[in-house]
Amino acid sequence: MSDKEPKILSFLCNWCSYGAADLAGVSRMEYPSNIRVIRIPCTGRMSAKFILAGLRQGADAVWVSG
Amino acid sequence: MTSYTEKIQEAAKRLLKEGKVDMVIGFRRGSVPMMNQPHYVKSAEEAEALIWDSHCGLNLANYLTDREDKVGIVAKGCDSRNIANHIVENKINREQVYIIGVPCTGMVDRHKLPKMVEGDIIEVAEDGDAITVKTVNGDTKNFNKADVLQQNCADCSHRNPVIYDEMIADPVEEQTDTDMFASVREIEAMSPDEKWDYFEDLISSCIRCYACRNACPLCYCPLCFVDESDPQWVGKSQDPIDVRTFHWLRAYHCAGRCTDCGACERVCPMGIKIREFTKKLNKDCYELYGWEAGLTTEERPPLDTYRPNDPEDFIK
Amino acid sequence: MITFKLNGQTVQGEEGQYLLQVAENYGVYIPTLCNHKALEPAGMCRLCTVELFDGRRTKFVTACNYPIWEGMEIQTDTEVVHEGRKLIVEMLLARCPEVPVIQKLAKQYGIEEPRFEAEDNTCILCGLCTRVCERMGNGAITLTNRGVDLKVDTPFHLQTDICQGCGACAFLCPTGHITLDKINRLITTHQPEMIKSEYDVGMRGRKPIYVPYPQAVPNTPAIDRDVCMHFKTGGCQICKDICPVNAIDHTMADETVELNVGSVILAPGFEPYDPANLDFYNYDHPNVITSMEMERMLSASGPTGGHLVRLSDHQAPKRIAWLQCVGSRDMNRCNNAYCSSVCCMYAIKEAVIAKEHAGDDLDCSIFFMDMRTPGKDFEKFYEDAKNKSGVNFVRSRIHTIAPVPETDELELRYVTESGDPLTENFDLVVLSIGLQMPQEIIELSRKLDIDLTPGNFCDTKTFSPVSTSREGIFACGAFQGPKDIPQSVIDSSAAAAAAAESLADARNTTTKEKEVVPERDIAGERPKIGVFICRCGTNIAGVVDVPEVVAYTRGLPFVEFVDENLFTCSQDTQDNMSATIAEKGLNRIVVAACTPKTHEPLFQETLINAGLNKYLFEMTNIRNQDSWVHKNNPEMATQKAKDLVRMAVAKVARMEPLQESELPMNHAAMVVGGGISGMAAAKSLADQGFETHLIEKSGCLGGQAKNLYHTAKGESVSENLEEMVASVQGHDHIRLHLNTGIQNVEGFVGNFQTTLSENGKEEKLEHGAVILATGATPYTPTEYAYGEDPRILTSLELDKKFNENDPALEKINGAAFIQCVGSREPGRMYCSRVCCTHSIENALELKRRNPEMNVYILYRDIRTYGEKEYLYKQARQEGVIFIRYALDDKPQVAVNDDGLSITVTDHILNRPIELNVDLLTLATAIIPSADEAFANLFKIPMNEDGFFIERHAKLGPAESATDGVFLCGMAHYPKPIDESIAQAKAAVSRAVTLLSQESIHSSGTIAEVDPTKCAACGVCISVCPYSAPSFIEEGRFAGKARINPALCKGCGLCAASCRSGAIHLKGFDTDQIMSQIFEMDEAV
Repeated sequence: MSDKEPKILSFLCNWCSYGAADLAGVSRMEYPSNIRVIRIPCTGRMSAKFILAGLRQGADAVWVSG
Repeated sequence: MTSYTEKIQEAAKRLLKEGKVDMVIGFRRGSVPMMNQPHYVKSAEEAEALIWDSHCGLNLANYLTDREDKVGIVAKGCDSRNIANHIVENKINREQVYIIGVPCTGMVDRHKLPKMVEGDIIEVAEDGDAITVKTVNGDTKNFNKADVLQQNCADCSHRNPVIYDEMIADPVEEQTDTDMFASVREIEAMSPDEKWDYFEDLISSCIRCYACRNACPLCYCPLCFVDESDPQWVGKSQDPIDVRTFHWLRAYHCAGRCTDCGACERVCPMGIKIREFTKKLNKDCYELYGWEAGLTTEERPPLDTYRPNDPEDFIK
Repeated sequence: MITFKLNGQTVQGEEGQYLLQVAENYGVYIPTLCNHKALEPAGMCRLCTVELFDGRRTKFVTACNYPIWEGMEIQTDTEVVHEGRKLIVEMLLARCPEVPVIQKLAKQYGIEEPRFEAEDNTCILCGLCTRVCERMGNGAITLTNRGVDLKVDTPFHLQTDICQGCGACAFLCPTGHITLDKINRLITTHQPEMIKSEYDVGMRGRKPIYVPYPQAVPNTPAIDRDVCMHFKTGGCQICKDICPVNAIDHTMADETVELNVGSVILAPGFEPYDPANLDFYNYDHPNVITSMEMERMLSASGPTGGHLVRLSDHQAPKRIAWLQCVGSRDMNRCNNAYCSSVCCMYAIKEAVIAKEHAGDDLDCSIFFMDMRTPGKDFEKFYEDAKNKSGVNFVRSRIHTIAPVPETDELELRYVTESGDPLTENFDLVVLSIGLQMPQEIIELSRKLDIDLTPGNFCDTKTFSPVSTSREGIFACGAFQGPKDIPQSVIDSSAAAAAAAESLADARNTTTKEKEVVPERDIAGERPKIGVFICRCGTNIAGVVDVPEVVAYTRGLPFVEFVDENLFTCSQDTQDNMSATIAEKGLNRIVVAACTPKTHEPLFQETLINAGLNKYLFEMTNIRNQDSWVHKNNPEMATQKAKDLVRMAVAKVARMEPLQESELPMNHAAMVVGGGISGMAAAKSLADQGFETHLIEKSGCLGGQAKNLYHTAKGESVSENLEEMVASVQGHDHIRLHLNTGIQNVEGFVGNFQTTLSENGKEEKLEHGAVILATGATPYTPTEYAYGEDPRILTSLELDKKFNENDPALEKINGAAFIQCVGSREPGRMYCSRVCCTHSIENALELKRRNPEMNVYILYRDIRTYGEKEYLYKQARQEGVIFIRYALDDKPQVAVNDDGLSITVTDHILNRPIELNVDLLTLATAIIPSADEAFANLFKIPMNEDGFFIERHAKLGPAESATDGVFLCGMAHYPKPIDESIAQAKAAVSRAVTLLSQESIHSSGTIAEVDPTKCAACGVCISVCPYSAPSFIEEGRFAGKARINPALCKGCGLCAASCRSGAIHLKGFDTDQIMSQIFEMDEAV
């Protein structure tokens, strides 16, 4: 990823936000590429530990959506 | 306080004699001043060792975890709330515990008092609200108990046990004019950078001895996340990231469950104000869900439950 | 294959390819303005000139139309080439100084001012337009004249009917010389219009080849033959050339298909009312829109990208008005006398969303006659819209929308409730249009010989709400009457059940067994990962450098095999994948392609066919979430693809084969509640051949319906009820359990064990599913002097008097009804749905018995939704007097010796009036019967009013969140008989999807507890919405938690909540997600 842009790690719920991210593609929307998506079965799966691990791994922001 | 001691001894003897319990958990005098130790009394004869004064700051609920016998336990307000929490979280059955309730007037801050005198303390005596400290230099200094209380005790609004089987004295008057979240509000008002610096400074002296975890009645997992190796959540080192991770996750594991008993701070060899982490979560639980931990055995903590009207303003 | 040298590099191309095509394949940039892959090259612009060495000498050729040959040597980047191109650009700039694409090129070549005399042309004579026009099969335009006069034009510079206005020329024109406006003015004699997107209700255009909307099923493009040029001229077929999988076949024709079926379900839907002929609403004004247009405007994927604008000037509106009942409840200006049922609620929703979008500054007003929010949780939404969102509700019917001259605003004039005339201006007026039956469906119904209602909806009977007048044909959705999504979904399931009842004998008669490939045991093998990277034609490969990703992937740990495919999902690639798995002994598979949401099952199927456990698979998304959204940043997109593949490889290495446990299905069902809903459910189940236990706590069947007199359609309830009871009592497959309570429920879907207490005796019942139809009871009023005088009754008590034909009823001089007794007020903020219709029907019955009687209905809003509106109209025609009262000014009732005196503030006179009547009927609230202890038996939640909460308000309205437990009738929400029966059938329909299976398979991606780590704290049990975890009762791990695989949905809430890390969510386990996090970013 680029040095200037923040690195964003995102956790998207399989049933809504992940599908929405797909739809953004289907609709040919554009957004910056500095985001990495991890698909989770539900935001209920989200643990604070994942956020801390992501930040520790060098993410500048962690986005949980569901 | 001597009257409490006699009453506790009397109750312990009676319970053990009558066979109502197999053991009584209380305090005995420690080998150094202000450091009373938890004590298991298994026969009426041993009950003489039990004492009560303003140095019984450890949380005895910690010793109830997964016990299978019938246990009598000496419990001040916060201990009783943790017992309630233990019952909710299946750490002990209500029928197994006989709670000897102790109305509490607060515990002396064992980190603060030594800083208020010259030289090591060799004896601390108390009479009502008067605390008399003798030091190795031969000095004697008098204090008002209110001035040397642990901060959580000074702010406490649940001094009387919330559940008990008998009380060893009439309830004390609850403090109503305290503000337990004053310091949290101060931190909340800081800028992100100030907050970061504040917490960095707060935990800079941590040696990762895990005494805080061990003293906490909430930390009873067979395998703590800090000890897990696959995946390894937290490194074993003194790396600041590992230290932060430990403190944050420990606090989160206590969210909605912490009774602010202060055992963690009391046992910290470095005198770290660990409660600054848990208190913020206590405040959130109080403000978002109207919840104070350990006041009931009928309900689970808010993070274990869902109600349609739960606030969800945090979702953007 | 032809081999030649391109800038010193040896390259290859196919015989017949042009130089430019080969250069493109090798990523060598050659500028061109006149080339398009759909058209034969013409060498018009000369920009693609390159240097050719033929072995003897050097010459210049145009790359676009120069065919390649063996051994030639090409230089594209020499100084001479650039000099030549620069001169061409300089001349073009002189000819077309204002054309952006030329300006940009000139800048690239460092030209500031051309040395030649400037002209003001915009055409560079590239000929794309004339070539494409010919390809389209038209040839309407051509290059006319010669030399300096050469230009694109029609013959004789006349507008021509040969031009169909397809716009292909304008689409391809690189300079903007040809515009749609010019086509209309100068070229065509037709009057072409934008092809309106049906989905966006004409607010934007679409192409002749289109996917109707992003969620369309099937999600494949279709060709609109009415507008496709090929079907007009026989030309074009560019799509056919371009489609890399040869999917396009223009010769496909409509087929007549004959199906042999046992029953037919009609779900033809409705059409939104077209307000165009209501001239006083000025719908042709850009700022008067319909609610459908508003829906699209509020949608993030809509024509304005979710931005709220007024269409006249695309400025944000400050004031928006909704006008209700446009095309509904209206006999004067259209012929739709019915209420469309859904418009009040959608208008409120739109207003609330509009305010959410635009903030508090936006002023939203809804002008209505009666606010009709009788659906579940709708009343609370209405209250919140008023009190929290600040939407204005104005009770007034607007006659005219008047454009304000010289502004974009619209003027509404109306009279307030207190009688003051007011004039207000709005930026946007939304017409809340109703639902109506399209003419073609009316005709279809005629053909099918199906009776319609006066509103042209399908006529059905209250006790058979989805059966048409013709046996074997069923109806659902808005065809049966205007209704919202939950009711439509209920009806559709109900229609399926009704059809299945008649076809029960045929169930499973045409099923086939599938062959199973034995699964390979991979225990002890180190991970051998195969990675398949999809090019998806150019969808991925056009942006992401797939060969680079392939090369990168070869270096990742445990990766044994990497391949790229043109289309990984194609059948031949699937076959290859199977073969490769076997050949290379692969035991983990990664596919990097479109999205797992659509293609994961397909690839998992391939794994199964290759003898691999289907969970040894991970799919990563390099199309929808990469190439499609970063198309202007190929480098970053390639980097992202590498990261995503690396994350997937890391995760798949940690995947284990997962087993889907198989549990037997008990085919018996239990229905709780012997009222109308319960009986309807039991009968439908039994008719479909399932053994059914019907549990009723009282000594007889019938429930509350025993007290009812007539339905809203005038049918006798008692007659229908008797018939229903008889059919249930005499049914071979129904076992009745009267005087029976439920003591305990154990087990789970497919395997419930319920302990009954039947007449005091305990009995154990085993069954696979449960339908709860526990019904409701009327509220016993403490207000309006109820209980103080025998002349004050509840609605059901009045029905009883009708049923008994009480002669006293005919002698009454005056009767009054008070509505909303205990409903729609704090503490019970819901509408009881049935009472308005019930009271009006009873008022009419009183009038029938004594036409001279004065009958008053004291109401807050009349909620005769759908075609029940006719009753309201009839009541007014027959002289029933309707007086509206406000919640804060309820009627006062006094009991006198000679009668009852009711004081109420009249809403028109705005002063108290006194009514003296001999009969007062209170339309009391409906309160659910089941209590929390009962709900806990089945682990289903109740809302704050005590009604069971359905699985999903829209999509699961007859199911509970607990698998195998279904809901219907008043226990779910107050509803009339037809809706109760429909929901009962819907619940049956859903239950039968389970009961008809031989066994149930749990998913492999479920949670599992490691008991040695379990702290037994019980968080998992508390947080699980599906009641899957419980404590182990005996044995070594007694007291620890376990998770029932049949109930677990794999959401992972428990795994995340488990402090001691004892819970593993298979497929999304902690170490697997952590491995993805660890591989997120490789210090790039």
